[in-house]
Amino acid sequence: MVGSDPTRGADDVDLTPRTNVDGTAAAGPRPRQWLPIIVLALVFVAGGVIVTQFLRSAVDYYCNVDEVGVRDGCDADRRIRLQGTVDEGSIVQDRGVTSFSISFNGSSMPVVYDGEPGGIFKECIPVVVHGVIEQGALQGDRVEVKHSDEYVAVNDERVADATDLGCNPPGSDA
Amino acid sequence: MTTTDHDLPAQSSAATTSSATGTRATRIIGIAAIVALGWLVAFGLGFSPADRDQEEAVRILYVHVPTIWLAYLAFVVTAVASAMYLFTSKKSLGWDRMAGASAEIGVVFVAVTLAVGAMWGRLTWGVFWQWDARLTTTALLFVTYVGYLAVRRLGGSHHQRARRSSVLGLIAVIEIPLVHWSVRLWRSLHQEATVLDTDGDIDMDGLMLFSLFVGVVAFTLLYVWLMLHRTRTMAMEDIVEDRGLDAALAARRAEGEL
Repeated sequence: MVGSDPTRGADDVDLTPRTNVDGTAAAGPRPRQWLPIIVLALVFVAGGVIVTQFLRSAVDYYCNVDEVGVRDGCDADRRIRLQGTVDEGSIVQDRGVTSFSISFNGSSMPVVYDGEPGGIFKECIPVVVHGVIEQGALQGDRVEVKHSDEYVAVNDERVADATDLGCNPPGSDA
Repeated sequence: MTTTDHDLPAQSSAATTSSATGTRATRIIGIAAIVALGWLVAFGLGFSPADRDQEEAVRILYVHVPTIWLAYLAFVVTAVASAMYLFTSKKSLGWDRMAGASAEIGVVFVAVTLAVGAMWGRLTWGVFWQWDARLTTTALLFVTYVGYLAVRRLGGSHHQRARRSSVLGLIAVIEIPLVHWSVRLWRSLHQEATVLDTDGDIDMDGLMLFSLFVGVVAFTLLYVWLMLHRTRTMAMEDIVEDRGLDAALAARRAEGEL
């Protein structure tokens, strides 16, 4: 510290708290650092919310179409998240309701969704539909498009090849 | 001020005696970062093609992916610097400041990742957010390191700060493999890794991959530039704080001499 040995301080300097003439403290206690404490509290709350929401979302089993009625939790009488690829030519939109079918590993499931799916929803693309299976069809209330880990240029010749091959969903041969 | 109170891993020692944090090296790195970011804009928005499925939304990935990779790197640097502080006999505060600076930059990069990822999600998945394994663990990573930064500011001496934050820095880094492997550990809406996958196949158009590479270079240079300046700024902050204490002690001594 500025040209001095801090270990000598106790001998050389009177470190008792100073008081005013009336006996009150000359300087108040050092203010507590409230902002980091508040941020830490918010961090704990946010962490709790994140974990809770993750666990709550996990309550809806994430099933592939071919697992319905086969895998535990992928039953027709409960809410699930169902993954499959949108079948070619299956999309029908009528008065705000979108109907289509999804397939995975050779199994297929009709889907009825009250609305128009967002994102890059189209034929031959993997989707995850949230809902309940009723009367043999998944009554979806949320449709999410699942993008694969492949990135292909829009003008790539492979697009033409893929078009020639028709809808060849990745899950169909999985 | 004794020099041992503020000793640093080499690069910052000059800055502690200067009023500025810039050097010839930082200026060169800064200019290189600007040039690389310009290249990223050119390739990301111009030369690289649109994606067959995502169309123009793919361009978001040239920021989204490099920022999370650099955030991983930043948090690993935090952990390594924390270990160096804790497990070396010198207990150099330079390591502590390096850990803190890297964590700050990492938090900013994760925030950028989450923000642009939400935009990409809306355009591609159809939703801004989903409590999916990858998204959830990334959000948890962000919150953890915000907590780390808050812990650094709880007060006490520089070495108290360094000790408690080093322990946290070493624990928090465990989250990184969890984030990266979350898409394999759980079924996830988020796609699996394309470049950092284990099978060695990179299913990405060549120009897209190059644009991603430019993004990684640009953000790496930005990270290095920010690190150099921030560690030096932190050293100066510690000096200013200590000078306040020194001034108070000097005032008490002056009282005694009256």
